[in-house]
Amino acid sequence: MNCLDFRRRIGAEPRTRDERFMAHRDACAEGCAAFWQRAQRFEDDLDAALAVPVPDGLADRILLAQATAERRGQVGRRRAWMAMAASVLIAVTAGGMFWRHVDRASLPALAVAHMPVEMDSLAMTAPMSDAAVAAGFADRAAPLKGPAPAGVTYVHDCMVGPYPAVHVVTRMNDEPVVALYLPGTMSDADASFRRDGWEGRELALRGGTLVVMAQDGANRHAMDAVARAWRSAIEGPLPREVGQI
Amino acid sequence: MAPVQGNVNPKQRQYEAMVRAHSADLYRFAYWLSRSETIAQDLVQETFLRAWKNLDALRDADMARPWLVTILRREHARLYERKRFDTVELDDTVPEDAAFASPERSGDAAQVREAMRQLPDKYREPLAMQVLGGMSCDEIAEATGQQPGAVMTQLFRARQRLKQMLGGGRASAEGARR
Repeated sequence: MNCLDFRRRIGAEPRTRDERFMAHRDACAEGCAAFWQRAQRFEDDLDAALAVPVPDGLADRILLAQATAERRGQVGRRRAWMAMAASVLIAVTAGGMFWRHVDRASLPALAVAHMPVEMDSLAMTAPMSDAAVAAGFADRAAPLKGPAPAGVTYVHDCMVGPYPAVHVVTRMNDEPVVALYLPGTMSDADASFRRDGWEGRELALRGGTLVVMAQDGANRHAMDAVARAWRSAIEGPLPREVGQI
Repeated sequence: MAPVQGNVNPKQRQYEAMVRAHSADLYRFAYWLSRSETIAQDLVQETFLRAWKNLDALRDADMARPWLVTILRREHARLYERKRFDTVELDDTVPEDAAFASPERSGDAAQVREAMRQLPDKYREPLAMQVLGGMSCDEIAEATGQQPGAVMTQLFRARQRLKQMLGGGRASAEGARR
């Protein structure tokens, strides 16, 4: 490093402690050490001059602004979460209410709700004549197309919710099995249900819906047998398929 | 006010330490950038708010000051963009802040400050970054998007201009000190 490089460097970086720079300062006989001294004094003056007074409490005001902004953000985030939680709660409540409404209007619910006023019918044991059973169905414009099952002890035209129905009780192995036939009330598919002490099947027939049910603990085979028998009576015997002997 | 203690999370502690360590120098840098105490305070507030939002980006404590200076320069540029049509040109030679009338601005320091105020932006900014920000030529070059050689030239000329503006009176004072 020569004197020109040294003095250029000192003009740009007077505080540098670069080894070559310091070595030239210490070795130069052309007054570079004195030049460096003057430059350091100028830098001291410059440092002092640029150190303008800092406003009182600046750091605290900065921290206060940050804390306030952070708190505002937290409140905003909390409000957003609360709004979201309220929306979810409303959606769940509305969904629950809608589901309950749909459930209450379902055929199984209406059938079970119909039963308390008909409990005496379960205790009847005297079989009815085929003619009386057929008349019961005919009254509802749903004439039987096959023989009624044996052991029918009760037949009556009822309203199950808003739907007209034929209510029959069939004793199978000495257990009462309830069958409610709702002509013209169509179901999409067969389904099983269990609710309020009753177990049953909802069966989609060609001209309406058959709900067969018995109190919990009843023999399932008995209920299935009654369901098959009433399906056959209402829709007629199954046609023989091609090739069936 | 004593630093907040207790259940303060590490991020908050880091932030408070950074504010206490660098707010004064950052304010001075902002002052020499804007030449206004009011704007300097606003700039420092905005800079630290932005720093809080991006604190996770600061990995090295030694880089805090250049990082803050970079944020502040950006804020200053934004401020200039926003206020470009609102500002009224002021005579550079008119001291606008009350602090200029304070006793410590008298004498030698006052002359240096006045000279500094009159330096063109292209010289004043890198000089303030070096003297107040403690930044090297390379760091200034990186922050301003220039070559290190160009920054060295600006710093050299900034000091030459200052010395010229300070004139003979100061030169003779220096001579007396020799």
